[in-house]
Amino acid sequence: MNESNQTFAPQAPAPAVLAAAGPGGEPGQRHHDAGLNLRPTGRGGTTSRLDGSGIGQTLGTVTVVDPVFSCRDVNVYYGSKHALKGVSLDVGKKQVLAMIGPSGCGKSTFLRCLNRMNDTIAGARVTGQILLDGQDIHDAARDVVQLRARVGMVFQKPNPFPKSIYDNVAFGPRLHGLVRTRADLDELVCTSLQRAGLWDEVKDRLTQSGTGLSGGQQQRLCIARTIAVKPHVILMDEPCSALDPIATARIEDLIDELKESFAIAIVTHSMQQAARVSQRTAYFHLGLLVEVGETDRIFTNPRHRLTEDYITGRFG
Amino acid sequence: MLEGHISKSFDGELAGLHIRVLEMGGLALDQVRTAARAYAEWDLRNAQHVMDREGLLNTLGMRIYDDQLTLIALRNPVASDLRAIIALAKIAAELDRAGAESCKIARTVLHQNGRPGRGTSSDARHLANLATSLLRLSLEALDQLDGELAEQVIDRDQDLDAEYASGLRRLLTRALENPSQLEVTVEAAFALKSMERIGDHARNISEQIAGMAAHVVRVTRTP
Repeated sequence: MNESNQTFAPQAPAPAVLAAAGPGGEPGQRHHDAGLNLRPTGRGGTTSRLDGSGIGQTLGTVTVVDPVFSCRDVNVYYGSKHALKGVSLDVGKKQVLAMIGPSGCGKSTFLRCLNRMNDTIAGARVTGQILLDGQDIHDAARDVVQLRARVGMVFQKPNPFPKSIYDNVAFGPRLHGLVRTRADLDELVCTSLQRAGLWDEVKDRLTQSGTGLSGGQQQRLCIARTIAVKPHVILMDEPCSALDPIATARIEDLIDELKESFAIAIVTHSMQQAARVSQRTAYFHLGLLVEVGETDRIFTNPRHRLTEDYITGRFG
Repeated sequence: MLEGHISKSFDGELAGLHIRVLEMGGLALDQVRTAARAYAEWDLRNAQHVMDREGLLNTLGMRIYDDQLTLIALRNPVASDLRAIIALAKIAAELDRAGAESCKIARTVLHQNGRPGRGTSSDARHLANLATSLLRLSLEALDQLDGELAEQVIDRDQDLDAEYASGLRRLLTRALENPSQLEVTVEAAFALKSMERIGDHARNISEQIAGMAAHVVRVTRTP
């Protein structure tokens, strides 16, 4: 494994053809042609058209300084289907990593690797190395329940428990023994709801059912539930796709606040949302991580033709 | 470069913007030619024609500005699309300024403070031909989004600058030899400067086109 600040060479044997980055690329950056068609970008270089039959190399900087997650050569198989191919990517602390790409590209599959949610899928197999704060999450001694407390997840469809608002947030801390007294629990619930931007709206009805809230409120309740167990990382899988624009804006504003305390990885179909909320953006295509970089660069001057075609609406 | 989107209406809107900038370019080029002819022939009618069409150039510029705002607001362009829209906005601004320079030349004729001598007229005609040629080539590069042709225009502007410097030196020599024609000389100097600036605007237009072709946004020099 060759780790550098610029590129990561996959452990699998390199494909047959190497293509050098053109003037638009950074010195030292290379990308592999996965043995497939090459076509000029018009930028003085070439780029590969990836059809998923081989393992490609990511364009851009996959590593960050002092990452919370460090993933190397992650492959996921659903039975015989090779859904994620040799993905290497770091998730940085106190920042938002957005993952974009067309449907079926593997971004949600990668997200689910980070808290071993793929373990719950029959026939799913994950290979490669995923380190959380330097420790392998697939270590036999690892408690997966504890892992999923440290790596919380917010799903596309809000899924509050059929319990009171209070009990939705208190459930996790009780389960994990995070508080000793009722007073401590009350404070934790209050703080979590405040941080999720929901306290003022529900403080007078904490005993009411969480399922009685609006969609946007339910999603914020789910976020409060997630942060109540003091995670290191929050994973979000299209958290706003079921919400109206106002609720979406409030969630995005919340994400901007939460990134000061947590590492956040978000999968989204909305490129505009990815541009608004994230500091780094990763583009997936047919199971491969094509390009990753700072969000403002990805959306103003992407280096890979596939990234450019996707974000400009020429493909996807 | 501007096409290929899944949304064909977006393709159409970008193409429409491109065409309107080309239309503005065509009018600006005609303004420059008419002003140069007016100066060379000391023709009041052509000079007035330039002044009469100044408003039309402004109107085209305003419509292009509105189109760009709408595109940005409704389409959320990114990457190459955003750079292209910004570049076309800058090009429209350069065309507007080139049109303004042609109006300055036309006003010189309309002021009727004295027709320049043969030598000055010859220099002015030569400069005007160079400037018009550069502007025409830059518009061809814009039409084809041809980065290589744009780079040629950028290089050739240096020739225009050198010719302007030579012409100005000759003008000043004549002024020293004939001080009674100072006012005519000063107006002639401004007219030559306007022609040189038209070349600069052609260069700036070409820099934007070269930037579009190279997928960067270029910062142009102010003439």
